[in-house]
Amino acid sequence: MSMSFIADKQTLEDLNLLGRFKPNSIYNLFSRIKTTGGEQLLERMFQQPLTNPEAINHRSATFRYFQQKQLTFPFNGVNFRLAENYLNMGGANSLPAILKKKLNAFLNDDEYEKLLAGLKAAIEMLRTFRNFLQHLTDFNDAAAWRKTLSALTRLDSNKELTLLTVARYDRLLRHTLRSEMEQLLDAVHQLDVYIAVSDVARQRGFHYAHALPASPSVFHTTALKHPALDAGVANPVSLHSDSNVIFLTGANMAGKSTLMKSFGIALYLAHMGFPVAAADMEFSVRDGLYSSINVPDNLNMGYSHFYAEVLRVKQVAAEVSSGKNLVVIFDELFKGTNVKDAYDATLAVTAAFARYRNCFFIISTHIIEVGNALRQYENLQFAYLPTLMEGTKPKYTYQLREGITSDRHGMMIIENEKILELLNE
Amino acid sequence: MLFTTDKQTLEDLNIFGRYGADSVYNIFNRTVTRGGAALLEEMFRYPLSDHEAINRRSSIIQHFAAAGTAYPFSATLFDAIAAYIDNTDERTRLTTEEQSISKKLAGMIAVDGNTQMVYKGVHSLIEILQGAQSFVSTEAGGMAYETDRKAIATLLSEPAFEPVLAHQGKPAHSTIAAYDVIFRFRYRGLILQLLHHLYYLDVYISVAKVAAERGFIFPQALPRHTCSVNAEGIYHPLLKKAVPNTIRITDESNVIFLTGANMAGKSTFMKSLSIALFLAHMGFPVAAARMEFSVLDGIYTTINLPDNLGMDASHYYAEVLRVKKMAQELSQGKQLFIVFDELFRGTNVKDAYEATIAICKGFARKRNSIFVISTHIIEAGDVLKAAAANIQFVYLPTRMDAHKPVYTYTLENGITDDRHGMIIINNEGIIDMLKAGLIKMK
Repeated sequence: MSMSFIADKQTLEDLNLLGRFKPNSIYNLFSRIKTTGGEQLLERMFQQPLTNPEAINHRSATFRYFQQKQLTFPFNGVNFRLAENYLNMGGANSLPAILKKKLNAFLNDDEYEKLLAGLKAAIEMLRTFRNFLQHLTDFNDAAAWRKTLSALTRLDSNKELTLLTVARYDRLLRHTLRSEMEQLLDAVHQLDVYIAVSDVARQRGFHYAHALPASPSVFHTTALKHPALDAGVANPVSLHSDSNVIFLTGANMAGKSTLMKSFGIALYLAHMGFPVAAADMEFSVRDGLYSSINVPDNLNMGYSHFYAEVLRVKQVAAEVSSGKNLVVIFDELFKGTNVKDAYDATLAVTAAFARYRNCFFIISTHIIEVGNALRQYENLQFAYLPTLMEGTKPKYTYQLREGITSDRHGMMIIENEKILELLNE
Repeated sequence: MLFTTDKQTLEDLNIFGRYGADSVYNIFNRTVTRGGAALLEEMFRYPLSDHEAINRRSSIIQHFAAAGTAYPFSATLFDAIAAYIDNTDERTRLTTEEQSISKKLAGMIAVDGNTQMVYKGVHSLIEILQGAQSFVSTEAGGMAYETDRKAIATLLSEPAFEPVLAHQGKPAHSTIAAYDVIFRFRYRGLILQLLHHLYYLDVYISVAKVAAERGFIFPQALPRHTCSVNAEGIYHPLLKKAVPNTIRITDESNVIFLTGANMAGKSTFMKSLSIALFLAHMGFPVAAARMEFSVLDGIYTTINLPDNLGMDASHYYAEVLRVKKMAQELSQGKQLFIVFDELFRGTNVKDAYEATIAICKGFARKRNSIFVISTHIIEAGDVLKAAAANIQFVYLPTRMDAHKPVYTYTLENGITDDRHGMIIINNEGIIDMLKAGLIKMK
């Protein structure tokens, strides 16, 4: 049993990963679940990414299998909920209700009617499930389900159920076969998630990443996109222990943050065994992911933005130096201080982190001069997002290039907004 | 013209605070009556932009503060009349005729809710009218409050109120019924006016109390168009150990270029000055030793600009749009107090340098407004020194005590190149931690 993949609150918020009620969260991207149990399962998967490559590959193979099958979730929501409630009622003895019915044949007994409706819904659910299994002949997990279900074909009869039969079936499903029924309900929840997630993958053209053992450290994709952007631009990203740091530059709005978020999200989803917006992706499993993209600004008085950044870097440094295999994303490191300090600090911190070849880093900055000083380290990759000028309007390609850019169009943006004219009036 | 401000400014200065936590409003939120609390909030929402109105309100509060006047009414009186006076349903009028036996009997068991409401309301208003009468007869509030005092006296001089003011002892049912008609129906307008005056009085006296307790002073408002702020010993009213600072601003020095290391107190100083000016425009007491200021049309600060914008907008662009908004307001001829903390920190150094110079130069042309701009791009200061004569350069220093930075929080003239970012990083032991970890792993 390996430890769970680490991603702290700041990281989860930077990447907008979780949150059922947050619009545009990555969780919501996948949440097309029909059953409550399925919703809970999806939530659990999001909260506990895996760190074992076999487990990851097994789960992603399952999603891939369902994506190829293109199946429709066969259970009717209302009927399934009725069946689930009935089967979950606990082993409570229903004999009193049945006896009461027998004794008070003329009374309108609600309790018995409820029991009967639940039982019928359960039988219907079992029949639907059995039929559905015909589509899953080559799915390993289905063998146990099939065994349970084929022993219950006799329940399918369309004849009106007598009191005695109701008592017998009720005992069978809620007592004798209790654990088998629990297993089948779990199976429905799983199918719900498999079908919903693989549907999203098919519709959005997602791919499945291949998980590799932790060592050697590798990350590779030929086309990385942001999963929530419909018209996202794809970029190749490769990291390994001899080239474990990406030093990213680019003008404002050139897409640095989006690229970094895309990378973080793909890595996180891949550790869940989920489909990713990255083609041909393979990755050695990591222990966790730390990002520093939007360090909260609204601090109490006396705390500067710079100090908040320093504390975040310190927290990550403690984790990295503990020997974990981590992925670290720093966007605009030390923007809350003067230029000379930001230069010194970015250089010192980047150089110190870069020596951890078992970790991957993406670091973006406006202090492009740091890049020149970092050229001496051969394990750094320099990449930038370009800005093309169309007359006086900046245009962004969002396509990674090799090198360090000195693109800057800050003054042009001010001129386009005609601010100086307003002040000179 | 109205004094203008916006949500960003109110949040930057923590005027109202979140969930009623420590806020500037809460310092003063000590009114006795609910009507007073509503008025207080209105005053915070709509500061004044006329120096006479400001000085008038300020002198009233100042007078009450000096005299230590207490509000002559208790809160319960006003609670009783709130529901009463708002109820103008004729059917709730008490009947003046003698009560029938059965009604009397019923009344012995339980007075019905309506009768009780009217009884309480009338009792309270008798007390309020008599209290107001004795308050104005003592000349409370001195010269400053004279206009209001006369207005109250005029309201009370309505002949219909004469028996009410002279009333003594427990009123009979028929008297209550008669007063009810006077209060709620025939002279309702006068009663509402009177209450309005008493709510104002509540605000004046409660604010005066705060000023006296906290040692706040009353700024002098000067006519607009003079562009001057003379603030001695201003400090942040919400900080426990706030350090006072003094700044003088005239049209010869209306752009303040503020530098200083992280944590040296730049934001706190900017907030202190902004809050003082905000309160001063309300005619309220401020946390300072002495202050005079020429009246402005509005105040806009940009201290904590939200970072978490949509995926495609950068922090820099948000800053540019904010500057544009200011430029638009200025181009309409408004005289504003404008604050920018860490202008253009969301872009690369060269852009920030050029943009800071261009915008500061543009601001410097507006001699009738006041600007406070803090930045880390100290190089821009050298260029601006040569470019415009009306920029004043101040900084908040950092002294080094061995390896620990120590801050004085006291303004000095000039530009500082204090920078201790690396010292802070080293003090946190980040680089050492990373070095040690590598050795352990080998």
